[in-house]
Amino acid sequence: MRILSVALVALFLISCSSGKKPDEQAFEDSLDSTLNQGPSIDEEVIGSILDQIPSPLEISVLLKKSGIKYNPDLLNSPDNLPKYNSNYKMALNLGIYGTDLGYTNIYGQNQSGIKYLSSIKSLANQLNIGQFFDIETIGRLATNSKNLDSLLLITTQNFNSINHYLQQQNRSNLSVLLLTGGWLEAMQVTCQLAANNPDHGELKEKIGEQKITLEQILLLFSFYENDENMASLLTDLKELEAAFNKINITYTYKESSMEVVDGVAVIKDNSTTTIEITDEDVRNIMSKTNSIRNKIIS
Amino acid sequence: MSEEILKALTQLFAIITKQDGGVTVNERQYVIRFFQQELDQASIEAYLERYDKFSGYSEKGPSHQLTIAAPSVKDSIVTLGICKKINRTLTQKQKVIVLIKLLELVGSDNKFTPQRMEIINTVSTVFNISADEYKLIETFVVTTNMAELDFSDILVVNAQPEKAAKKQKHIQTDIDGNLFFLKVPSVDLYFAQYLGEESHYLNGFVMQHNRIYLFSHGSTIKIQSGNALYYSDIVADFNEELQTTKLSFNATIDEYRFPNGTVGLKDIVVAEGPGKLIGIMGASGAGKTTLLNVLAGLERPTKGEILVNGYNIHSRPDKIKGVIGYVAQDDLLIEELTVYENLYFNAKLCFANFSETEINDRVLEVLGNLGLETRKDLKVGSVLDKKISGGQRKRLNIALELIREPAILFLDEPTSGLSSRDSENVIDLLKELSLKGKLVFVIIHQPSSDIFKMFDKMIIMDTGGYPTYYGTPVEAVSYFKRATHQAHSNRGQCETCGNVNPEQIFNIIEAKVVDEYGQPTNKRKVTPMQWHNMFKSKFKIAALANEKEDPPQSLHIPNRIKQTLIFATRDLKAKISNRQYLLINLLEAPFLALILSFIIKYKSAPGGEDYMFRFNENLPAYLLMSIIVALFMGLTVSAEEIIRDRKILKRESFLNLSWNSYLVSKLGILFLLSALQTLMFVLVGNLVLEIQGMTLAFWFILFSTSCLANVLGLNISSAFNSAVTVYVLIPLLLIPQMILSGVLFSFDKLHTVISNKENVPFVADLMASRWAYEALAVYQFVNNDYEEPFYAYEKEASIADFKSAYLADEMIKRNQFAIDHYQSDNDSTRNEVRIALSILRNGLLNESYNEGLEGQNLNTQLTPNGYSKEFGNLLDGYLLNFRKHYQNVYNEQVKTADLKRTFYEKEGFDLNEEKNNYYNESLADLVKNVNTKERLAIENNRPIQLIDPIYQTPSPNHPLDYRTGFFFPKKSFLGMEYSTYTFNSVAIWLMTIALYVMLYFELLRKLLDTSGKVTFVNRK
Repeated sequence: MRILSVALVALFLISCSSGKKPDEQAFEDSLDSTLNQGPSIDEEVIGSILDQIPSPLEISVLLKKSGIKYNPDLLNSPDNLPKYNSNYKMALNLGIYGTDLGYTNIYGQNQSGIKYLSSIKSLANQLNIGQFFDIETIGRLATNSKNLDSLLLITTQNFNSINHYLQQQNRSNLSVLLLTGGWLEAMQVTCQLAANNPDHGELKEKIGEQKITLEQILLLFSFYENDENMASLLTDLKELEAAFNKINITYTYKESSMEVVDGVAVIKDNSTTTIEITDEDVRNIMSKTNSIRNKIIS
Repeated sequence: MSEEILKALTQLFAIITKQDGGVTVNERQYVIRFFQQELDQASIEAYLERYDKFSGYSEKGPSHQLTIAAPSVKDSIVTLGICKKINRTLTQKQKVIVLIKLLELVGSDNKFTPQRMEIINTVSTVFNISADEYKLIETFVVTTNMAELDFSDILVVNAQPEKAAKKQKHIQTDIDGNLFFLKVPSVDLYFAQYLGEESHYLNGFVMQHNRIYLFSHGSTIKIQSGNALYYSDIVADFNEELQTTKLSFNATIDEYRFPNGTVGLKDIVVAEGPGKLIGIMGASGAGKTTLLNVLAGLERPTKGEILVNGYNIHSRPDKIKGVIGYVAQDDLLIEELTVYENLYFNAKLCFANFSETEINDRVLEVLGNLGLETRKDLKVGSVLDKKISGGQRKRLNIALELIREPAILFLDEPTSGLSSRDSENVIDLLKELSLKGKLVFVIIHQPSSDIFKMFDKMIIMDTGGYPTYYGTPVEAVSYFKRATHQAHSNRGQCETCGNVNPEQIFNIIEAKVVDEYGQPTNKRKVTPMQWHNMFKSKFKIAALANEKEDPPQSLHIPNRIKQTLIFATRDLKAKISNRQYLLINLLEAPFLALILSFIIKYKSAPGGEDYMFRFNENLPAYLLMSIIVALFMGLTVSAEEIIRDRKILKRESFLNLSWNSYLVSKLGILFLLSALQTLMFVLVGNLVLEIQGMTLAFWFILFSTSCLANVLGLNISSAFNSAVTVYVLIPLLLIPQMILSGVLFSFDKLHTVISNKENVPFVADLMASRWAYEALAVYQFVNNDYEEPFYAYEKEASIADFKSAYLADEMIKRNQFAIDHYQSDNDSTRNEVRIALSILRNGLLNESYNEGLEGQNLNTQLTPNGYSKEFGNLLDGYLLNFRKHYQNVYNEQVKTADLKRTFYEKEGFDLNEEKNNYYNESLADLVKNVNTKERLAIENNRPIQLIDPIYQTPSPNHPLDYRTGFFFPKKSFLGMEYSTYTFNSVAIWLMTIALYVMLYFELLRKLLDTSGKVTFVNRK
């Protein structure tokens, strides 16, 4: 009996210990200086810029077409999920996972796809945009590679609707982060592949094209200079811009036309661009992209 | 009597008679008669020869003896030697009888010479008979003058109106001469002597003049005038204690019916005073036990009443408490306790006025009286695991009642299963008790002659609950013999040995008609009805005058708190001494916790490398299992408690102990056990699953749940009769708890009869599991170390998000519909408008943001009559702002939370680690209801938020409306808000209290009893 009671007390003590927390008051104090300076952003302007950024999924389609093999090491592991707790990181990584999901889907990697879906669902829930992921439907589609098209469509649509919804909800900052994350991931994958396949011209060209996208992203970020996290990311992105600046893009304008593909209106760009990009440039961009991305996913 | 003793006696007779003039013929004749009683005809010669030789008797006459004047030294030495020899062999009772024989021998010729008397005196001294008693005996034998018999131990029966001496006892009756009785107090023997001319019959034999008869148990003297003097009456007259005991017991049972309607007893009258030992006999099924139970007040007679000193035992329990003792046929012992402890606790409950040593002495005394002192430290043990013998168990059962010496004692077959020696001991004890002024009723089966005769009265029952005889036992044989016209009907007992054969009675009662082949048939010669009619005509039992005093009580019941303590100590002792029980109950919880938590602990971290609490998907199920385990342990530990004690409770019901004290003691111990069990469960479970910071909170809820189960278990334990029934019932109680816990089946997906989308269904509110689960889940989510600093922001954000993203849209849509259609002529459209406005009204109820709606009365304007296009447009504008406003609120809250996170991280606090250790994703998904497809539902024209219940606030309809959706963090009641944890704990305890009230009034049992009385109508 005595041993029992000693054991009980010991157990009790062990189970009660917990780590110490920062002082609540200190936070309240720091809050006063930061919170009051909310940025006044015109959501409509942001919306119009956001719309111009192409979906990162398009890159994945290009990869599949060019016959490059699936390489999961290029992606952010869905197991990293526990690391993302702030809205800032969750939004960026939701974008990253979105791109990864598209990549795995295009290569028919259903098993991995489902893992990504689950991580995406979890992040979306925490960001209060879980309603866009009906995981049952997506999961059912994902288990059957024949449904690939519809899956892609749904995911793309989902990301589109999320963007739209976030803008509508005055939460474009999330939208920006989401897109940036997705874009960075696509960049990273493309750069890695381009570096591994130096003869693949189309890939390099694709990278070069991203200069325009980056400019738009930088423009978006400029609206959020008050946000500590976004401001710091902006600094990093500006370094990336420097790497892009070595690329020359010649742009020849032609009227664009609209087509309907699978019931979805697609604007076809008839203009042509000439992109001059060296392997050196690719490596520079790649290393910069990697360092930014690694900051985000870690 | 052994040959040796006989020889010694012969010699003693001879020595006495040869003194002072030698043997007379009468004296010799007396000796011969003595030999005739003790010896066969052949041996008499030899002994007589021996006597003659020692006494010097010769046919020629005693002349030559006259010369001897003083007893020789030799005679004295021989006398001493003989007496010592006798001392070694005979009991004190026998020695008293020998002494009386010697005196009678001398008295046969009235030659009380000094020398003879001196020798007898010597004998009495050597026999250790006190001088006073010797004087008493001598006077009784020698004197014929009643006036000289001035002793309190003498009873004289004569025709005189007054007694002759002051101290002697006296009965006046129509008799010639004097019939007088002697009581020898030291050995409790009675002797009778008659001096007169009439012939009276002692046990059917004529009493001779001047002879002294042993008046043994059950003896009767029929005097010539027709009256009878019964042993019990004589004893009662001698007994001073009986004279002072004021007790009257009058039972008139016109009819007793069993619950199923059949007649159990018919026309029974019992009227008795103190100091009686009453036997109840009858064939099996004759209703003996029923009669005993009705007399003892355990069953209520359908018609009739039982009065003790004029108090009805059913309507005046306050006067009767402690007066009645009852020893059932089965064991009423606490098997886990020792013999001593059984008695000790019983004594503690009976004698609050006794000190510890007094109680100890009393217990040891009773144990000594029953010959159990050497067994006192043995455990009683169960029938299967015997530690003490059957006889000892029986005696202990009786001891439990004897210790408090109730005025009226009922015993159901106290001798069954005992050896004849043990039986006799038990009945002796009861006889002794009756002689102390108690009234004792005993059901007796196949008594031996000696036991049979010890009873003062015998009630003989016949099949169907009919009484057939009520009177002295020996008389019973004569009565039945007479009734069937048998020979020697007036002699109830054997002429020479005095034996009575009680079997005879039943042979007569149940005699069967014989068919023409001499085979007995199933038909009885005399039916029970006929016997009963005969009984009614022969026996007129007059009710005793009711004593005016309260019945004598020997009890001092301790106060309620002390009772509780005694009960609790007793129970605790019993439980501790039962090792198996203790071990299983204490190890069960940690063991279950260990296997449960061990099994559900898997490599849950993303990547499957190791265990991470945050991603353990089993946590919600684990919480449910913990609650089920708590309920289960609570139920099983208590379900048998009262059933096991029921027999003991039956016995103690005569003590009128506090039921509340008993229950409180039970609960005290059970709660203690539950506290230990749940604590060990939580400690082990939480340790294995790495649930941190929740120990106390989890423990308290599980403990509360277990306590509720304890009381529930006691309820069924008190309502049902067998442990098997109770254990069969456990699933019936547990499975609804699981179904309606809210975890296995979501509350919004239950049958529409019981559920709606807004609130937890009312039936679920009756389930402890639902309250407990909600409390655990909400507490774990809201109060875990990680969530706590962010919860407030997340809550605000969630509310704002719902309002801006869902509610605003819904209301804008409804408002648009109202603007478009409010003037419609179509009835159904108008109805829809009404609904839309109603939804709007409800949606804006308690809304704090009202910019643009100032001064508007929504209650009148949001009705079909009050609505206008202008107002609709105003509302539309408001709603857009409403949305914008909450978007901003949301963004602000999210931003603040993010800032806090950044701040924490800057301070070097690892939020990831914190979240991994304290936060559980599955539980969060559950309490946030993330898997719901629709986030907003309309129920009763109210917009209901289905997502994020954990962040919602209750919106009561009235002060008593405590109901909310499942996993709401707060509950509202009487205008106040309480945390769900507090509220749910209180709910569980309120249910526990309600169950306790049910238990206290035994409502479940009463309900079952009433439903049991409903009989199914037989349709033919």
